[in-house]
Amino acid sequence: MKNIYYFSKKEFLESWRTSKLFIVMIFFLILGIMNPLIAILTPDIIEISFGGALPVNIPEPSSLDSWGQFYQSMTQMGLIVITLLFSGTMSGEVSKGTLVNLVTKGLKRSTVVISKSIYLILQWTLCMFLAFFVTWVYTLYYFTDDNSPHVFLAVLPLWIFGILLVTAILLTSTISRNSYEGLLLTGGFVVLLFIVNIFDKLKHYNPITLTSENINFLQGTSSLGNYMPAMLISISLSLLFLYLSIVILNKKKL
Amino acid sequence: MNIIEVKNVSKSFGSKQVLDGLHLGVPTGSIFGFVGGNGAGKTTTMKLILGLEETTRGDIFVGGEKVTFGNTKTNRITGYLSDVPEFYPYMSAEEYLTFCGEITGLKKAEQKQRIKETLALVGLEGNKKRIKGFSRGMKQRLGIAQAMLNNPELLICDEPTSALDPEGRNEFLELLASLKGKMTILFSTHILGDVERICDYVGILDEGKLKVSSSIEELKQTYAKPQIELFFDEVANFSALAAELNALKEQGVITEVEKINKRNQVIISYNKDYAETAAALLESLIAKKTMPISLRKMNPSLESIFLEVIQ
Repeated sequence: MKNIYYFSKKEFLESWRTSKLFIVMIFFLILGIMNPLIAILTPDIIEISFGGALPVNIPEPSSLDSWGQFYQSMTQMGLIVITLLFSGTMSGEVSKGTLVNLVTKGLKRSTVVISKSIYLILQWTLCMFLAFFVTWVYTLYYFTDDNSPHVFLAVLPLWIFGILLVTAILLTSTISRNSYEGLLLTGGFVVLLFIVNIFDKLKHYNPITLTSENINFLQGTSSLGNYMPAMLISISLSLLFLYLSIVILNKKKL
Repeated sequence: MNIIEVKNVSKSFGSKQVLDGLHLGVPTGSIFGFVGGNGAGKTTTMKLILGLEETTRGDIFVGGEKVTFGNTKTNRITGYLSDVPEFYPYMSAEEYLTFCGEITGLKKAEQKQRIKETLALVGLEGNKKRIKGFSRGMKQRLGIAQAMLNNPELLICDEPTSALDPEGRNEFLELLASLKGKMTILFSTHILGDVERICDYVGILDEGKLKVSSSIEELKQTYAKPQIELFFDEVANFSALAAELNALKEQGVITEVEKINKRNQVIISYNKDYAETAAALLESLIAKKTMPISLRKMNPSLESIFLEVIQ
């Protein structure tokens, strides 16, 4: 247990000293600031772009637009940045040989996997909630409507999907020889989830829906309970990915 | 008693067999030189002992406990220095050793003391630079420090002197020699002089098989040919000399003659008593008025033994 703490501490030190933590925090902070700002500016941008040629009236922006922007930017940019930054987390250690000194001192390989997963989940949580709270504060400041009653409930599925994604990154990074292979495999996993989404019957079981139904959860038009299978499957898959990462790393040549 | 027992171990990478039924025993408390050419299987053997590679066949025991691939418990008593040790470049030497100490389970006070001692031992005390700014030699020295941090019972060093300059190599060999009796050291190299200087046991690995494993003294007694080296000046009559030496060979005084023309050097092998052979040799040379500049009894070198063993 102590070694999990020491190795996780090393992961955070690495993140800090290599400026990864700084970059990712700044990035998510900007995302958080941009969400309500884009919601406010979008009508003006459209009007400037189309002038009087636009046949319809653009409605006044609301908190829903701000949160819509949050979920869009988190899934389209936030998750991609996380994947890009951490796709070499395990393959880098194995290919450089930095684990050799530690494993030959008796460090269990399972400790490495668990510590890295703790670090990745905490990093994702930190990033997501930074963007979330910044968006929340600015949305409250700019928009006084009550169109978005379930703010915390709506973000929960996204957080769970993020956990699934970072454990998938850990697994693919353990399987692969370099970060590019890891990226490709993680991309393949996400594409697979999108393909499964074609089948309407599987909608409530597919983890990817946790990133697409958030506005409905926010408004209360869709019940979170209906997507409980998708959340449970995401958590189960995360645990499976962790287990597989340990099994694969145990068999890996260092 | 042996701290390492390698029993009938084979290792293949695809169709290439690197080790073939290897048997090896490393006596507890010894400095064991593991010698072999490039690709002989030294590094593979060490990685198998550390559980970093999986054996194709056979078993390995460290401290009486079986080594298992992946997570071997035997590593708690080992320290390992690889040929090119890798570290986290964003840490300083002290931070890295602190991390290693934490992983190894050293208590805080002991950890602090050991870090201070090992850094002083390898000449990195007070160095606050990050590892990314270290030279290869400095990294090698940090590698030694991390391997010795927890006072391991068994220290495994894979070609540790290959990246060091002559001064660093000398210091490192002295350091290893000073550890004699404190821990068992398995030390692989292809620099035979290093083995001869500090090791008390040697194993010669060739084409995946252990050709020889014994103490250096035993090895010299078994394999070394008694030889005499003669030097002549440039005006010596070498054809007359060759005839005379052939005559001595036929009489059974000497067994073999090897001439190295460019250096006017002749090496003579014999199997009788040195004094008797040297006297007969000098007598014969005086009679032919071919006096050598020097005559020297050659001490058997590990290099000549190695070449003979792998032939």
